[in-house]
Amino acid sequence: MTGLREKIITTAGNLFQTQGINSTGVDTIVAVAGTTKMTLYKYFGSKESLILEVLKKGHQDFQSWLNDKLSSNTKQPSEKLQKLFDYIEEWVTAPEFNGVGFIKASAEFPKEDSPVHQLSSQQSQQFRQYIHHLATDANIKDAEGLALQLSLIFEGAAQAEQMKRGTNAIKYAKTAAKILIDDALTQ
Amino acid sequence: MHNKDDLDLLGSNWLIYMLAKSSNTPEGRLLSLFDILNDWLKAPNMVEHCHIGNTAHSLLLNYCITQAKALGAENPEILAEHIVLIAQNAAQQNITHPNNNSLTHAKKAANALILAQTQPAHIPKNNRISTKPITYSIAATLVLAICATWILSSHKQGNQLTPLAKSESNTTHTAINQENQHLTAIEATQMYAKYEQMRQGSCQFPEALLIPDKDKSIYLENVVGGKLPANLKDLAVANAYLEKVKCNFTPMLMAASK
Repeated sequence: MTGLREKIITTAGNLFQTQGINSTGVDTIVAVAGTTKMTLYKYFGSKESLILEVLKKGHQDFQSWLNDKLSSNTKQPSEKLQKLFDYIEEWVTAPEFNGVGFIKASAEFPKEDSPVHQLSSQQSQQFRQYIHHLATDANIKDAEGLALQLSLIFEGAAQAEQMKRGTNAIKYAKTAAKILIDDALTQ
Repeated sequence: MHNKDDLDLLGSNWLIYMLAKSSNTPEGRLLSLFDILNDWLKAPNMVEHCHIGNTAHSLLLNYCITQAKALGAENPEILAEHIVLIAQNAAQQNITHPNNNSLTHAKKAANALILAQTQPAHIPKNNRISTKPITYSIAATLVLAICATWILSSHKQGNQLTPLAKSESNTTHTAINQENQHLTAIEATQMYAKYEQMRQGSCQFPEALLIPDKDKSIYLENVVGGKLPANLKDLAVANAYLEKVKCNFTPMLMAASK
């Protein structure tokens, strides 16, 4: 039974990414997932709860992918920080990249009191905290400041890439990140 | 939180007007975006009557593309778009979390993006000037010590211009090949760090009258004015004068010792 729940989340995730969250109806999700509306509501209660589950799963997947990459390919803490944008570039330039879940969700749900908007800003903060940890481990003096600079660069590049594929925004973002990291390491 | 009649700060003609008069370099005009937004969002009642829209800001974007072209960016459209997105995100964060200085950090990020598009892509690590970690206190002591030596030596020799003449002879023989070389991204960031540091303290600059005519414009633009030197020759001259700037960082030291 959990298999069906997973299937609905994956199907909805793909549809949200490719067609947008608001323009994907529950009817489409159940049709593509090969299930019924009743089953969907039994598992998730509402479309909004399904959106929240999809966002959580997407963010977890991204974080654990990044974490695996960084911990298996780097040793020094400063190296992790320097490699971060290499992997982000790998992810963003992959043909199946359809945008960063929390950035897209926050754009589609701009009202601050919306639970979807709240979860997406939480995830954006979590990602910044992750960079903050990497920077702290690398003995960066203003780890919080660097994390903010890098997350602004990352989110801007991802937004630019979402609007138009193949812009190279992430390539320049990577160079800019290197400049900021190298500078912070010598402070 | 806002209604339709609110002014969208990023879409306003006023912003373009402010940017246009903010600086006489395209880099300066792009980076002023962050200072202007920071000032505006600090103004009383601003947040109640204005907002940062999520829509495309074509007026601002086109203005930034023009600036990005003027500064010789590899891909002006992307640079402009990225800077506008960062400004938009940071301004929105500034409204929700006014204390985390998001616009100041956004400015640093934008500066790095400008460098990424204007410097040679490959930056060898050993090209770096060896500035090891310096705390403000060490920097302040060092600057004071250099100033003291300079004043002492000029007194001894009875000639105020001697140290400058010395730095001239150091730079002239390397000047030929340095004149055509642009600063690397690292050198540029280090210069920006120095300007930023001077802003943190109260600094006394050597009298411009005492400086030889050929260095005067470099001194005024690249030391006092905080504008990045155009090539390595100017950088060397600017650095020689930067060492003669006397800064007092006392309030900052007190803040750091808390």
